[in-house]
Amino acid sequence: MKDTDVLDSPNAIEFKSVTKKYGDVVAVDNLNLSIPRGKITVFVGPSGCGKTTSLRMINRMVEHTSGEILVNGEPNTAQEPHKLRRSMGYVLQQAGLMPHRTIVDNIATVPRLNGTSAKSARTEALQLMETVGLDTSLAKRYPAQLSGGQAQRVGVARALASNSSILLMDEPFSAVDPVVRQDLQKELLRLQSELQRTIIFVTHDIDEAVLLGDYVAVFAVGGRLAQFGTPEEILREPADDFVASFVGRDRGMRRLTFAGASDVKIHPLTSQHTPWQQWELKVEDGKPAGWIIDGRTIPGGSLFVEGGTLRDALDSVLSSPSGVGVAVDRNGKVLGLLKSEDVLAATEAERHRRYGVNA
Amino acid sequence: MNIFDKTWAWFTADGAWTGAGGIFQRVAEHLGYSALILLIAAVIAVPIGLMVGHTGRGENVVVAITGALRALPTLGLLTLFALWLGLGLVAPIAALVILAIAPLLAGVYSGIAAVDKVTVDAARAQGMTESQILRKVELPLALPLIFGGIRNAALQVIATVTVVAYINLGGLGRYLIDGLAVRDYPRMVAAVVLVALLALIVDALLALLQRALTPRGTR
Repeated sequence: MKDTDVLDSPNAIEFKSVTKKYGDVVAVDNLNLSIPRGKITVFVGPSGCGKTTSLRMINRMVEHTSGEILVNGEPNTAQEPHKLRRSMGYVLQQAGLMPHRTIVDNIATVPRLNGTSAKSARTEALQLMETVGLDTSLAKRYPAQLSGGQAQRVGVARALASNSSILLMDEPFSAVDPVVRQDLQKELLRLQSELQRTIIFVTHDIDEAVLLGDYVAVFAVGGRLAQFGTPEEILREPADDFVASFVGRDRGMRRLTFAGASDVKIHPLTSQHTPWQQWELKVEDGKPAGWIIDGRTIPGGSLFVEGGTLRDALDSVLSSPSGVGVAVDRNGKVLGLLKSEDVLAATEAERHRRYGVNA
Repeated sequence: MNIFDKTWAWFTADGAWTGAGGIFQRVAEHLGYSALILLIAAVIAVPIGLMVGHTGRGENVVVAITGALRALPTLGLLTLFALWLGLGLVAPIAALVILAIAPLLAGVYSGIAAVDKVTVDAARAQGMTESQILRKVELPLALPLIFGGIRNAALQVIATVTVVAYINLGGLGRYLIDGLAVRDYPRMVAAVVLVALLALIVDALLALLQRALTPRGTR
């Protein structure tokens, strides 16, 4: 790890030679891992790799067989399991809300267990509903009346109510549809930028891991930690064949997510909306509205929004019917056009820069 | 006069309802025995059902015991206990408690065991102790099935508690046994009608109670 401030600050959680066996079957094999404070660390891997078991060992929903798990420097066996669990939030895959309690009471569960009065626990719960983007008019509803995405937001609000610095999330977004999942992922990143909790997030989806993780721990079958590092490190230099195959064939594309596109030249539009060979960009109210060719209008490709990544820039070029990407500002107004050769040159330059060699 | 007219006549006769041996007294005795039996059975069956349902330990034993108890003939049991313990209240109560345990135990055990494991796992992960999980999560969610067991047991006990008259106790069974002895069939029909009505009324009251107690979110 190059990140020096992480090295300087104490870790929120440390696994020290932790092994979990069920009979003779090893679920987690001698895990040594330090989880940095205030960051999102993602446990990713195929089914049966021990990622969920490792997560559940932190709050003793699963007891480890040997080794030691330190939470804020203390062994997690130093206090009773239910007290340990109240001190950290937990979000499950299927929300796991209590069907006989209202939304607001579900969120207030942990404060109530800790002896907070019903009134102030509810007040806090209502604030948390706003924090996670839930309409407070849902407060008196029951879980059966919510959509999957709403239920998952309630699950997150309930975990935040413990007011702890540690949040455990076990595949929280894998049971909702892709559109809702994207919303929830964005929401989590927004929340994290405000709250800066230590989040341990389990997923089997490498894209989700790369998107959300400040750090990613890749687990291999047999409960072995194959690699730990930033998403960028893992995509750039997979530690072994397993990690390389797990992160997949698209890893070159995914890695471009970490490269800025400020070097890519944006070619200005002329007053005639730039005839580009025989293609002409159609502009309405300053916003792109497709491409005109032979008098027909064809819907445009993805737009490159100012300040985006190299992956966005490349996609705008590849998805455009004219082969020319369209750059817009944050209000959606056309800034100019991107040429594929400029984008490819930028990826080349980025690679040289990364390995410290000049072109 | 056919049997129904005669039964009507029995119901409307002077002194049929009030006074010693009247319907009110017999109904009160009948309900008294039934309540006592259900209470004792509940004290035995509910804690066992809760523990087995919550921990999952002893499931096989519970299933085997409830099956076996249901197969026991109550009248035979009553005779055996009466011979063994003598006449009086203890023998019939013991025989009928055994009858009531099976549906109560099955209801409580299966109600708790049927609560969604994800909900229980989530409750534990939030930091509930085992007893909090049982009281605040499993019990409220198991209420419909538990009430099923209670209603089942109540119906069986109210119908069967008539046998206590066989060993000289009161209740509506008195009319059956005494009626049979003197071949007073209208009195026997009246007893059957009264027992059936009583069972229906008690079941309806329990259904109302169940509705009032069942948490809104689970209806």
